[in-house]
Amino acid sequence: MKPVAFEHATAATLDEARALLTTGAKPMAGGQSLGPMLNLRLVRPERLVDIKRVPGLRGFTETETHLTLGAATTHAEIEDGRVPDVTNGLMRHVAGGIAYRAVRNRGTLGGSLAHADPAADWPSVMAALGATILTSGGRRLPADGFLRAPFTTALEPGEIITAVEIPRQPPGARWGYCKINRKIGEFAKAIGIATPTRLLAGAVEGPPTLLDRVEDIPARLPWLDPAAQRLAAIAVTRAQAMRDS
Amino acid sequence: MITLTVNGEARDIAAPARTHLADALREHCGLTGTHLGCEQGVCGACTVLVDGQPMRSCLIYAHEAAGMEVTTIEGLDEDPVAAALRDAFNRHHALQCGYCTPGMMVTARDIVTRLGAVDEDRIRAELAGNLCRCTGYRGIVRAIAEVAATRPALPAPAPRPVVAAPAAPPPVAVAPAAALTNRLEHAETLALAPDAAWAILSDPARAVACLPGARLLHREGEAIAGEIRVALGPLAARFAGEGTLRFDAATRTGELRGRGAEGANAAEGEVIWRVEPDGEGSRLHLDIGWRLTGPLAQFSRPSLVRGVVAGLAADFARNLEGAARGQAPPPAPGLWSLLRRLVRGWFSRRA
Ligand SMILES: Cc1cc2nc3c(=O)[nH]c(=O)nc-3n(C[C@H](O)[C@H](O)[C@H](O)COP(=O)(O)OP(=O)(O)OC[C@H]3O[C@@H](n4cnc5c(N)ncnc54)[C@H](O)[C@@H]3O)c2cc1C
Ligand code: FES
Ligand code: FES
Repeated sequence: MKPVAFEHATAATLDEARALLTTGAKPMAGGQSLGPMLNLRLVRPERLVDIKRVPGLRGFTETETHLTLGAATTHAEIEDGRVPDVTNGLMRHVAGGIAYRAVRNRGTLGGSLAHADPAADWPSVMAALGATILTSGGRRLPADGFLRAPFTTALEPGEIITAVEIPRQPPGARWGYCKINRKIGEFAKAIGIATPTRLLAGAVEGPPTLLDRVEDIPARLPWLDPAAQRLAAIAVTRAQAMRDS
Repeated sequence: MITLTVNGEARDIAAPARTHLADALREHCGLTGTHLGCEQGVCGACTVLVDGQPMRSCLIYAHEAAGMEVTTIEGLDEDPVAAALRDAFNRHHALQCGYCTPGMMVTARDIVTRLGAVDEDRIRAELAGNLCRCTGYRGIVRAIAEVAATRPALPAPAPRPVVAAPAAPPPVAVAPAAALTNRLEHAETLALAPDAAWAILSDPARAVACLPGARLLHREGEAIAGEIRVALGPLAARFAGEGTLRFDAATRTGELRGRGAEGANAAEGEVIWRVEPDGEGSRLHLDIGWRLTGPLAQFSRPSLVRGVVAGLAADFARNLEGAARGQAPPPAPGLWSLLRRLVRGWFSRRA
């Protein structure tokens, strides 16, 4: 199927993006989630606003404590180490497992967070890392809680993600990541993440959920059926074992 | 009306904004080698090169691709890697109906150029996004493994450089030099008193003349412009770059930070040097940080570059001693000595 007719606009600055993002308009970064939805006519925008060339959305800054990555950073740039890694390899590992290289060359960190598919990788990873999402509205939103419900975020209409601020992990800090899927490159059926201080269950058909112990899964994820709860427990247990091995 | 650059040729096409690149190629350019399967990014049949990197032509709009270099299967006729792959696909029976083959070839070429000699497990993982209904993949994997094992020297894909303009209120700005991903330290003993060494090291024109392959083009205050030729194995690049140069005579420390580019290769780096007394002579400490992107980057593993730097630094030290005695610096090293260093780098990596 082909998308509905729409207008294509490219924003060169953040102000231009704000001005173009009126009702009926949709921001587009890599187009790797929007494209399929447009082709299936699940989304029918009047205008697409290409935001990935806005200068503030590219590049990165680093401080003693944080790395701030532009929202339009691609999965492949993270995979290849073309941007710094402050997570002792966790982010590079995750990036390499998202979709396929041809998709990773275009799909972006910000697009993935804004798209808010619970089965996607970055929403879970950013929540587990305690990252902060920076927006065109000047807001700083904790990644934990940013995904409110499937395909629903804390963003206001017309507001876009400009960057993500990721806390630097201590040198040598270990992590574990377990993505359960049927085939390499597919969305997860369950995600387990273990950082030095946290456990997280992701791809749970709702917000990625921080846990104290694996045993808390039934109480913390009551909306999942028992089989999905067991899969979540397997993912988190494996992540924990990977971290502690 | 938009202008697409396809296989090196500019094409003006009138396509509405909703036209994806695959349709633009097939319908507007008559290039039907690009196939469409799912139009959801899953099957890989539509994979083409955009600015040298594989992308789904069903998930990029023709309007987005305007101004970028698009290479389709038709544009790979003369490509040496694609030629080797075609031959191997043929011998290993890696195609039957051929529907998946254009996308397979583009992905296979990316595997070979980006990853070089990789095992079959990795090839299977990388091929997960290209579906074939006929062959069962065995022949495809073997064909790719065979070509990958030879690691031909080739024009590898140009990465999208990470650049941010300084503008805009939000927090993301230009990458600071502090973020350099590779670092190494090196020291050389100089048969020169610290002051004599510093006299040359603090004079950019004389110091640069001692660095094989480097030329100083311009200097104004702390700002300098120059170029350096870097050659690693079959790859050679001349980086023209700009940077800042600072000196601290009290501690006999100098600091050079800069960035430059050559074609698809971009380099960013810093060198901090310090001269300390050491018996009769002195010791030159180098602290080097760098990041390379582009084909050259696959050689930027620290252990490998360490070998090259050690060679360059030794030449630099000898040239410095020569300059102090009033000798003219020798010409840039030939490819042979650079290759020797490369080999040394490989061995020290394996040792
Ligand atoms: C075959 C296939 C397999 C995939 N597998 C995985 C997988 O395993 N794991 C995974 O995590 N992802 C997967 N993805 C999704 C992929 O990671 C996408 O790149 C990502 O979800 C969206 O990023 P994008 O830049 O392409 O966003 P787009 O498609 O451009 O946009 C997605 C949504 O976010 C909005 N948006 C984009 N950028 C911003 C912004 N900066 N601020 C506000 N809103 C914005 C858009 O309006 C749109 O609603 C897959 C995709 C495909 C096609
Ligand atoms: S048609 Fe583009 S991936 Fe299937
Ligand atoms: S050869 Fe027929 S789909 Fe691959």
